[in-house]
Amino acid sequence: MIEFRNVKKSYPNGTVALKGVNLHIDDGEFVFIVGHSGAGKSTLMKLLLCEEKATSGNIIVGQYNLTTTPNRRIPHYRRQLGVVFQDFRLLPNMTVYENVAFAMRVVGTPSKMIKRRVPAILNTVNLSDKHSAFPHELSGGEQQRVALARALANNPSVIIADEPTGNIDPQMSLEIMNLLVKINKLGKTVIVVTHEQSLVDYYKQRVIRIQDGLVIDDYVGGMFNETV
Amino acid sequence: MRRYNLFYFIGEALKSLKRNGVMTFASIAVLLSCLLVISGFSLLVLNIDVNLEKLGTLNEIVVFCQPDATEEEIDAVEAAIHKLDNVDTVTHSTKAEQLKQLKEEDPDLYGDITAEENPLSDSFAIKYKDNDKVSTLDYELKQIEGVRKVRNSLDLSNKIEGIKQSIMIVFFWFLAILFVVSIFIIINTIKIAVLNRKKEISIMRYIGATAWFIILPFIFEGIIMGTVAGLASFFIVKFGYSAIVNGAGEDLAMLSFVGFSDISTYVLLGVLAIGILTGVIGSSISLSKYLKD
Repeated sequence: MIEFRNVKKSYPNGTVALKGVNLHIDDGEFVFIVGHSGAGKSTLMKLLLCEEKATSGNIIVGQYNLTTTPNRRIPHYRRQLGVVFQDFRLLPNMTVYENVAFAMRVVGTPSKMIKRRVPAILNTVNLSDKHSAFPHELSGGEQQRVALARALANNPSVIIADEPTGNIDPQMSLEIMNLLVKINKLGKTVIVVTHEQSLVDYYKQRVIRIQDGLVIDDYVGGMFNETV
Repeated sequence: MRRYNLFYFIGEALKSLKRNGVMTFASIAVLLSCLLVISGFSLLVLNIDVNLEKLGTLNEIVVFCQPDATEEEIDAVEAAIHKLDNVDTVTHSTKAEQLKQLKEEDPDLYGDITAEENPLSDSFAIKYKDNDKVSTLDYELKQIEGVRKVRNSLDLSNKIEGIKQSIMIVFFWFLAILFVVSIFIIINTIKIAVLNRKKEISIMRYIGATAWFIILPFIFEGIIMGTVAGLASFFIVKFGYSAIVNGAGEDLAMLSFVGFSDISTYVLLGVLAIGILTGVIGSSISLSKYLKD
């Protein structure tokens, strides 16, 4: 469960990014977060990833209240999230296998477990045959699938995808979205921040629209431009 | 720390050290210089101490009578010496014996001097019991009538002690400066390493790596640099010191040198401890901000 209760965020330069956001996402939901540039989507993501602290209000994710979680607990909180970025953020000097294994090693997973689990995850994202390739040898869509595999590596309960299809062609975008839907069906909460109207329209999932630092639209099965 | 993590940390540290080869080399070289100065000065001070002790163990004061003293006067001096508290043994050496010895040593120079012309004085070599009361004894001896001069090794010992103090002060400042320079250069090396791995570190944070997991490879970098510099300085000191002692042994036969095998364990532990400590301090300072969040 993810809950924002009257969350406000202003930056030291005076910019007020969020002006009192309230939202509730249940476990196992698939949610699109949409909005124009500067609407507050990125700030919302940063708060969710604990890159920034809210100025006021409460953010609850599972057992964590992010406004009161001490810094030393943040790494443990982040382990229940799997994050996918627009620019993939893969380590260029590591192979596909190593990139996924790295995520597991970071949280102290034993080598035996890593050896068993990585091939299974690569199979989930249809990359078994590319396990020894380096990121630069892969297409954009394939790189994003590696990022997705890495996000899944530690079996997180929530997957956050920030513009996951922003850097890949439309056909690959569909493939990535299908994978996210598949992952959601495995019981994981999936939050996709996107600009892409066609995808939002096609998948007909819950849409939360943010504008000027406020949630102005929250509609299940909604279309990108639909307003309440 | 789990075993598989330890291998990972050391592996990452080695990779990073190789990647920043020039800075790694510079850090190790500066740290090595620092350790060489520390060990060099320490060995110097240690040897001065040993030789000072040797001077102390001579515990001998020589009292000279007037050159024209009569036998009665000389006997009176000897009797007065025996009465003093701190006196252990007294050995009388007549001026005739001394001249004879000089003539044997250098017949050309002293061969012509007759017994009447003998300018030397009868002397008493005094061994004393208590080192701490030697100044009092020295004073008491000078008060005896018929004593021309009292010679002791106190002045030399004081002079050497003074030199030792000066060396210690120079040593301390030199060490402090080198230590600061070493830490500074290690800080820079680690900062460059962190910069090189900025992307990796940011990904590690998103994945849920703890601050310690992120910084430990860098701390290991510091430890490895410290260990390499420590071991290198140990071997340089080992061979350098032996060469100096062997070379100087012939020219400075009156000095005693501490054998390297007697102190090798302390030197090794010392340079390793200082090297590793410097490495850890340097890397910790450059990573302090990562420890905070």
